[in-house]
Amino acid sequence: MKYAPFFGCMMTTKYPQFEAAVRKTAAKIGMELVDIDGFTCCPDPIYFQARDKIEWYTVAARNISLVEDTGLDIITTCSGCTATLSEVNIHLKEDAELRELVNKKLKKIGREFKGTIDVRHAVTVLRDDFGYDKVAETVVNPLKGLKVAVHYGCHLLKPSHIMRVDDPDHPTILQNLLKAIGAEPVPHDKNLLCCGRACMNSQIPDNMVIDIIESIQKSKADCMGLICPTCFDEFDMGQIIRGRKYKKQLDVPVIYYFQMLGIAQGLTPHEVGLDMHKIKAVQLFDKLAAAS
Amino acid sequence: MNKPKVKPGAKKHTLNFLFREKLNNTAEGFRHNYCYQCGACVADCPTAMYSNDFNPRLIILKTLLGFEDELIRPDSVIWNCTNCYTCSERCPQEVRPIDVIIAMKNICVDENKAPELIRKVSDTVLVDGITTKVTSLTERRRKELGLAPVKSYPVDEVNKILEVD
Repeated sequence: MKYAPFFGCMMTTKYPQFEAAVRKTAAKIGMELVDIDGFTCCPDPIYFQARDKIEWYTVAARNISLVEDTGLDIITTCSGCTATLSEVNIHLKEDAELRELVNKKLKKIGREFKGTIDVRHAVTVLRDDFGYDKVAETVVNPLKGLKVAVHYGCHLLKPSHIMRVDDPDHPTILQNLLKAIGAEPVPHDKNLLCCGRACMNSQIPDNMVIDIIESIQKSKADCMGLICPTCFDEFDMGQIIRGRKYKKQLDVPVIYYFQMLGIAQGLTPHEVGLDMHKIKAVQLFDKLAAAS
Repeated sequence: MNKPKVKPGAKKHTLNFLFREKLNNTAEGFRHNYCYQCGACVADCPTAMYSNDFNPRLIILKTLLGFEDELIRPDSVIWNCTNCYTCSERCPQEVRPIDVIIAMKNICVDENKAPELIRKVSDTVLVDGITTKVTSLTERRRKELGLAPVKSYPVDEVNKILEVD
């Protein structure tokens, strides 16, 4: 099956290891990625949406219209891009007046938003188009004994009337995807707490990040598993900054789901860029290999 | 007739309905009118949990009363919203406090009353096409991972569709 991937700014420039992990694992599942030329920033749901909502709709609609030409669905791999492209896609499909306003602007470059395709996060595609069993079939190196504390992040699930992915208060998709690759999802108190990235007062995200990490440390998980590069930024580099600032031992390795999937499919930690993380996660997999 | 007692020197407050009109004319801002102050948005709001001066119910009440000067400014509490959408999940009235907050942020930017960072970050989309930077580290890592180099971004098109009519 074919999909148009939208990797966004963060994954393209700052964390290309996630893009690599998605590309390398998708092929094995049977997810064919067709690259589309001419994307810009989604644009981001925090700063750009705060600037001007109509401009935000317009830039996002341009990105979506590029994919509409191919008839493929967009798959997103960043929760921020998911938030923007899903919300814009659905609002413009449902609101004819808004669509007309945006299309008037797009006409200046000969484009039009038609509302013919869907936007879906890559994990949703794994679950709905292929299934957990199909994911499990691609595993050659089950991550047996790896305890993973899930951090959902906000924009895979909410707002639920837009995202339509899972129960926003009792989600299961990421735990099930982890079980499919042999890992053990470990519950912890703060799995649904926001990473706080968007707050202007830095004290708020500082406290949120510390609480989330301490809740994971208490759960005895080996690492945190997530699907959003912005949350990753908050927890990988973010733990080092807050550890120094508050003199705390914050050192939970943070891993993007598709990196774990890649290792379970037989890729090396290096091939999925695990060695590019600030909090080293490679040793975890050395330990697993030694135990099996 | 009993006149209500007003302390001498106390500040007089009047309702500012003009602000509500302004909100009604901003995308999604009209939703504040639906609020019946139940407070369902408060308990699970992460910013409310982590800060004493952030309460989505009170923010919406202040929009209803027209506390424009307090809400529309660079150090307004609205800038501490995490954008998590939990209030939107809880709201039984489809106020979706976050959407009203975003509408107020749009008003702040429009009136030059937003934190500088908002323009600074969002302007990069018009200049570079993206909000992050392509650095030598980006290129080195992409090569190491077997990824194609970053392509150029069609900045001209973005600027064209954002031209004011």
